[in-house]
Amino acid sequence: MRMIIRRLSLYALTAWVAITVNFLLPRLMPGNPVQTMIGKLTGQVTAAEMNAIQLSFGGSFKQGLFAQYFTYLTQLFHGNFGSSITLGAPVGAILRESVPWTVGLIGVSTIVSFAVGTFAGALLGWTRGSRLDSLIPTATFFQAIPYFFLGTVMLLVFASNLHWFPVLGAYSQNATPGWNWNFVGNVIRYGELPVISIVLSSIAGWMLGMRNMMITMVGEDFVLMAVAKGLPRRKVIMHAARNAILPSIANLSLAIGLVVSGALLVELVFNYPGVGDLLLQAVLNEDYPLIQGIFLVITLTVLCANLIADVVYLALDPRTRTEAAV
Amino acid sequence: MSADTFDIQAVSPMREGPAERKGNAVANVERSEFVLEVNNFSVDYGVGENMVRAVNDVTLHLRRSKVLGVAGESGSGKSTLVYAMTRLLRAPGVISGGSVTLNFTSRDDEKEFTTLNLVTASEKELRKIRWSHVSIVLQSALSALNPVLRVGREFDEVLKTHRPDMSKAQRRARAVELLTMVGLNDDRLARYPHELSGGQRQRIMIALALALDPDLVIMDEPTTALDVVTQREIISELHDLRSRFGFALIFITHDLSLLVELADEIVVMYAGEIVERAGASELYEAPRHPYTLGLLNSFPPLHGPRRELSGIPGSPPDLSDLPAGCNFYPRCPFAMSRCENEAPALTAIENSDRSVACWLHSSDSSVPVPVELSRTVNPARNPVTTLKERP
Ligand SMILES: Nc1ncnc2c1ncn2[C@@H]1O[C@H](COP(=O)(O)OP(=O)(O)O)[C@@H](O)[C@H]1O
Ligand code: SF4
Ligand SMILES: [Mg+2]
Repeated sequence: MRMIIRRLSLYALTAWVAITVNFLLPRLMPGNPVQTMIGKLTGQVTAAEMNAIQLSFGGSFKQGLFAQYFTYLTQLFHGNFGSSITLGAPVGAILRESVPWTVGLIGVSTIVSFAVGTFAGALLGWTRGSRLDSLIPTATFFQAIPYFFLGTVMLLVFASNLHWFPVLGAYSQNATPGWNWNFVGNVIRYGELPVISIVLSSIAGWMLGMRNMMITMVGEDFVLMAVAKGLPRRKVIMHAARNAILPSIANLSLAIGLVVSGALLVELVFNYPGVGDLLLQAVLNEDYPLIQGIFLVITLTVLCANLIADVVYLALDPRTRTEAAV
Repeated sequence: MSADTFDIQAVSPMREGPAERKGNAVANVERSEFVLEVNNFSVDYGVGENMVRAVNDVTLHLRRSKVLGVAGESGSGKSTLVYAMTRLLRAPGVISGGSVTLNFTSRDDEKEFTTLNLVTASEKELRKIRWSHVSIVLQSALSALNPVLRVGREFDEVLKTHRPDMSKAQRRARAVELLTMVGLNDDRLARYPHELSGGQRQRIMIALALALDPDLVIMDEPTTALDVVTQREIISELHDLRSRFGFALIFITHDLSLLVELADEIVVMYAGEIVERAGASELYEAPRHPYTLGLLNSFPPLHGPRRELSGIPGSPPDLSDLPAGCNFYPRCPFAMSRCENEAPALTAIENSDRSVACWLHSSDSSVPVPVELSRTVNPARNPVTTLKERP
């Protein structure tokens, strides 16, 4: 319990640092970003617009730094990230539109890749040297291909040519978004190919990691004991797998960060309406408030995912818990 | 070697009368006096060029409820022998010959005595005898217990697998009973292995090994990792447990002085072969093989007069490059010329119940047996008797 509280405070601290850096960065940039931004706007800038822009940076630059910081935090707390310059809508609202798509797509792909890869790895490790081993070069091959290429080829072959999957986007243009089976089914159908492509390109890591740990575990005394106890084979494998999975879970927290950066490419290839796609537009348009909002959301999401992976690890390995209690 | 060579029918002389075949297991009318019979058993590591023979032509018979000590320096093949015997040997180890017969009482029918050749038994047959009839305790309890499971789970799992009709409460009660038997409080059940001391962990392993009332328990250096005081306590606890429950025990150690108090009979292994076999006190008080003498001189006795420690000169044998004659020849202080090229076989010593593999004791030997190797047992000073007759 104490361990969890300690972890939580560590994460709270990290989140606070991320927010503060996000606040300071535009202020440390040479020149006045507000002026830069106004320069980008065509036509007259009204006083109201001027105010909105300044607000999006956390209040007037004429205030003292601490007052600005305070305003910024208050705004954030109310979910107010300022307004996007190019889209003319509040950043918060825009993010609420796109974040669920990314989290859904990337989250599902990561979980599927982790689960299938780990399961296959456990089997491969246990039956080392069997014909199943030929899975390894296949999986490594897919991981070695640059994702952009793999995704594009899959899109061209399976969607454009063979028509096994719908082509672009997150759902059919004829579908009306809503919480009904029709729409959810449609989203799943459109998500299949992107998910498969991500899983294909990332599964080798999980598979190899788990396989190697399994092979190490097979040499452990407690696995030998599980056999000596006359346990059925399934239970013996579980004894080994339960320990072999620990490093994979630790790696999961690391992988989550990488996976988010990969989202940009996926969404680009499949024209998926998520954060990656949005970020690309924002960067091209130098839409600072939007970029800032996106970074903040990405940071916080990665932190959350890490926290979950950490708690799972703590729950699965009793040794980490006691060390912390000392 | 074909599977037929291992046929149980050909191996053991115990089975007479109508024997009913159930796969590899044979139901028996008559109960064998031996729980385990190992005959001409050999184990290799690797194949072809790099093959080494880690266990060579070992024959040993263990009576019910008796304790057999297996001693020898590290690398002499003790672990390999018992792992191979119980079919727990991992690659690159392979059984290259011999038979291992387990005689046990089938649990389905109290009166049915069953015999199984472990060398040819199928996985399914092995699962039936594992832990129910043969359990094992390893040197490091820390690595033998699954680090992410509570101790209670280990007990629960074993009982659940082999006694499916026990209820959860019954299993818990049995676990508590077992812990009490080895002097531990039942709150240990909620602990993880790393939260316990080395002595507690090893006691838990012993309790676990006794969970199903096995016919045979095998302990591979169970006290080597512990301090001397705990070692002592555990040995004497084992002694009590054994007389209470009557399981047969194979106790492996490189420290002969531990065995003298516990074992009925001791075999000494060198380079994968048995070089001496004798009753525990005979072997301890009156060794016949130069290697046994050397072993006895390498450890301080737990009890009784201290001997001067001299150890054994030279280094353990290289299995891939063994001497042509006696394996111990390069290190033996009593070596004779014939030892260089002729290998002595394990032979019974006349007028005794012991055997030794050494030319010094051969009947045609012209050299007188050295005084160190021809002592006689003094029954009055026998520490074994004192401990064993304790109420
Ligand atoms: N996996 C292995 N591969 C090759 N040789 C091995 C292996 N395990 C053990 N050996 C050899 O077998 C011999 C006996 O080892 P072991 O049974 O562990 O001895 P002990 O238990 O008496 O210390 C040693 O000489 C060792 O080098
Ligand atoms: S046979 Fe010879 S070398 Fe071997 S132990 Fe006996 S005396 Fe020593
Ligand atoms: Mg050993």
